[in-house]
Amino acid sequence: MARYLLGRLGGILVVFFIVSVVVFLLMHAIPGGPYNEDKVPLSAEAKANYMRKYGLDRPLVEQYLLYMGNALRGDFGVPFQSPTETVTGLIARTWPVSASLGLAALLVALPLGLLLGMVAASRQNTWIDYTASTISTLGLTVPNFVVAVWLVLLFAVQFKWLPTGGWGQWHHYIMPVAALALAPMALTARYTRTSILEVSRSDYIRTARSKGLSDRQIMLRHTLRNAMIPLLTILAPQIPNLITGTIFIESIFRVPGLGKFFVTSILGRDYPMIMALLLLVAVVWSLVYLITDILYVVVDPRVRLGKSKT
Amino acid sequence: MNRRLVFSHSRQSVYLALALLIALVVQACAPAPAAPTDSGAPQVAAPAGPVVNALGKELPADAAPLDQQVLVYPYSGWRTFTTIDFFQAVYERADALSDLLSDSLVRLDKNFKPNPGAATEWSLDESGLVWTFKLDPNLMWNDGTPVTADDYVATFRYGADPTHAWDFSWYYQGVIKNWTQAVNGAVPVEEIGVRAVDAHTLEFTTESPAPFLPAMLVYSNAMQKRALEEHGGLYNSDPATSVSAGPYKLVEWTKDQRLVYEINPDYKGTNIPYIQRLVVVNIGQPSQLLPAYEANEIDFVWGSGTLSPADLEIIEADPDLNAQYHPHYGDFRTYYFFFDDTKPPFDDLRVRQAFAHVLDRDAIVANILKRQGIPAYSFLAPGFPASNSAAFADTYPLDIEKARQLLADAGYPNGEGFPRLTLKLRAEGPAPTAVAQAYASALKDALGIDVEVTNMDFRSYMEELNAKPTGIQFSLISYGMDYLDPSNMLGVFVSGGRHTWANADYDALVREAGGFTGDPAERTKMFQDAERILVEDVGGVFVYHQTPGDLIKPYIKGPALEPDDNGVSAWHWPGFSSFSDLLSGVYITNEVSNYRQAPD
Repeated sequence: MARYLLGRLGGILVVFFIVSVVVFLLMHAIPGGPYNEDKVPLSAEAKANYMRKYGLDRPLVEQYLLYMGNALRGDFGVPFQSPTETVTGLIARTWPVSASLGLAALLVALPLGLLLGMVAASRQNTWIDYTASTISTLGLTVPNFVVAVWLVLLFAVQFKWLPTGGWGQWHHYIMPVAALALAPMALTARYTRTSILEVSRSDYIRTARSKGLSDRQIMLRHTLRNAMIPLLTILAPQIPNLITGTIFIESIFRVPGLGKFFVTSILGRDYPMIMALLLLVAVVWSLVYLITDILYVVVDPRVRLGKSKT
Repeated sequence: MNRRLVFSHSRQSVYLALALLIALVVQACAPAPAAPTDSGAPQVAAPAGPVVNALGKELPADAAPLDQQVLVYPYSGWRTFTTIDFFQAVYERADALSDLLSDSLVRLDKNFKPNPGAATEWSLDESGLVWTFKLDPNLMWNDGTPVTADDYVATFRYGADPTHAWDFSWYYQGVIKNWTQAVNGAVPVEEIGVRAVDAHTLEFTTESPAPFLPAMLVYSNAMQKRALEEHGGLYNSDPATSVSAGPYKLVEWTKDQRLVYEINPDYKGTNIPYIQRLVVVNIGQPSQLLPAYEANEIDFVWGSGTLSPADLEIIEADPDLNAQYHPHYGDFRTYYFFFDDTKPPFDDLRVRQAFAHVLDRDAIVANILKRQGIPAYSFLAPGFPASNSAAFADTYPLDIEKARQLLADAGYPNGEGFPRLTLKLRAEGPAPTAVAQAYASALKDALGIDVEVTNMDFRSYMEELNAKPTGIQFSLISYGMDYLDPSNMLGVFVSGGRHTWANADYDALVREAGGFTGDPAERTKMFQDAERILVEDVGGVFVYHQTPGDLIKPYIKGPALEPDDNGVSAWHWPGFSSFSDLLSGVYITNEVSNYRQAPD
């Protein structure tokens, strides 16, 4: 197990390295620079001075090595779009906001999705099942920013129960969390329903039933646990997206999170931020997959990590 | 997207989603702590005696109490926002309230006339090149030191500093002596033509006569020399290092959320505001401006390029919103198509003329822009000095037959052999994009030319535009004034700028008129002759003059919002800053209590 983990962590380092090279090359291939030009072009001299100030006049290889050298020491530079703080400081300020929103959405989506899926499966082909399915289909097909706009129109503009956006008080969570939670909830519900129906037709459930276990015991001890395996595969990739922020939801509800920087960094040619964000995303994804693989062992004793010893 | 349409057409799905959301949002019914009172709230009783603010200014009788003298103003959460100082970065101020922490030498009134600001008077010497500005000796920074000519000199030197690479450094190029050379690093910044004669006398030397210099100096709010030296150009981005000699001081800047200004009790200038506090909130993306305004969370919406055609429909259909919508000239912005006329096919005048004859301005205004634009037949909008708009209405009228003939004469009968075009836009909003698409389809229908419209990101576009040779063959772009003189607008087509179109006669006329100090009528005539060359030679196909409209809550009143000389009552350019006396001419009436509580 330890050996397996070490191997996987080494793999993450390789991914980190490859991502850093690819991103570095790609972002410098985008035309334009971090300077502002609008009505009249900056003179070539002024541009050159600007590039020199940020070390952007040096050869790309040198810039890359310098960047990685600093990054390995924990210095990710200064964001061009917020030069009064460091990249690390900016991420430390905004990521917790996005992460708390994403986690809140997960905490809402998972139990509700499970519940919806279980109810639908246990009452298969009744009106309850159909209602639950309709809700899940809607949740999956209507994009969350459309839902967000409806929420604003209804609860903020029409009824004036909630502010249209903002941050800092508990009620600022309600609408963004609702909009964010909808899709993962729907996904959870659909897969829970399908998995449960599949598992409940298997032999070991029939055996359990013939042993005389109650429906409730079967559901909790056997069906749900086995139904979790496909669910994990589906749900794990939702997590990195949710906790690293989303541009649409955050900009509609004016959440001061990390989401918008994924777009503004590229539009503003904010090289230090682009690098830091994409490396962060790469690491989060790698870790989430690693944790998922470990969780398979927990829910399914048949799964073994590492090389088989037989 | 039209939110209202989505709402009404999908009512079923809304209610389904609603049913779900009610399950999710159990607590949604609990009223928010700061729930705005929409109607029926009792009016706040007028306090006894006149209300006087922190600067001793007496508020009008219908003014709200001081705790409600707060302007809640949006800023663009989608734009880079690093500074509130013009000389730091013009394009990193995110449409926020800015440039409030010191006075400009001159400031504009609602008729765009330059009046004394930090400078009490100015004069020009006999050479026509040396201007002397007398500073108001009362001005003080709120750290207790006086505002001196050295502060202004330091500010201008910072603007010309090649290592600063100021995004607006072009503005004073060719005007202030040695400015261009300093920006390019050829001479030290100490050699620019801005000099302190004594503590309260500032001297400007220009390259050539520049009668428009006072109007131009609307952008001349000082940064403090000491703070610049100690903390660098971003000293005003943190209340701890911020220092103010202006009507307001910065008290809070919570990144990505809001800024708060309070009236500066140590302000000694003459632009004395009524409003006590300014809360500038991140509004996220443009689509959220109208909902936030309707929910009484912001007092103001700038209409320029932010309200979508769908927003405008909502406003038009709602009598209340309609009454709060104030159209104006904006910055006299003109949208126009332009070409790379150094290469075929646009090096042929007949091709450009054919393109000009295909444009249906009336249809574009009626169907797309509605109240946000008027047809443009030339560059200078009606109301702008030297504007000669009506004279060009028949130069290239809509005439498809003639266009076809011209194109055939140029060797492209029915568009045969004409290259496929890409019409590039510079990160434009919904209205200009729709205009470009309408024109593209007109070119296809009328001339058989295939045009693909591409809306590019800002920096990629600028990189292509400014490349030599240029990477932009055909495009729609806009230009708005920086100061109220034709030399500013017409200067954009002088050769060596952003366009390939070049005409020696045009250059000579614009340059000569720019520095002309004789009979103003003669000067106007020179500009008009220049503009005629531009229009007739199709340096651009002028489409529309933008007439943006702002939404202003009915509880904002004041002399600045009374009709100007042309009868327009609006939040005039350049808005609420030390560049304008709008700042001292608006207040909050007690009607505000029907809309919102005092913001925290």
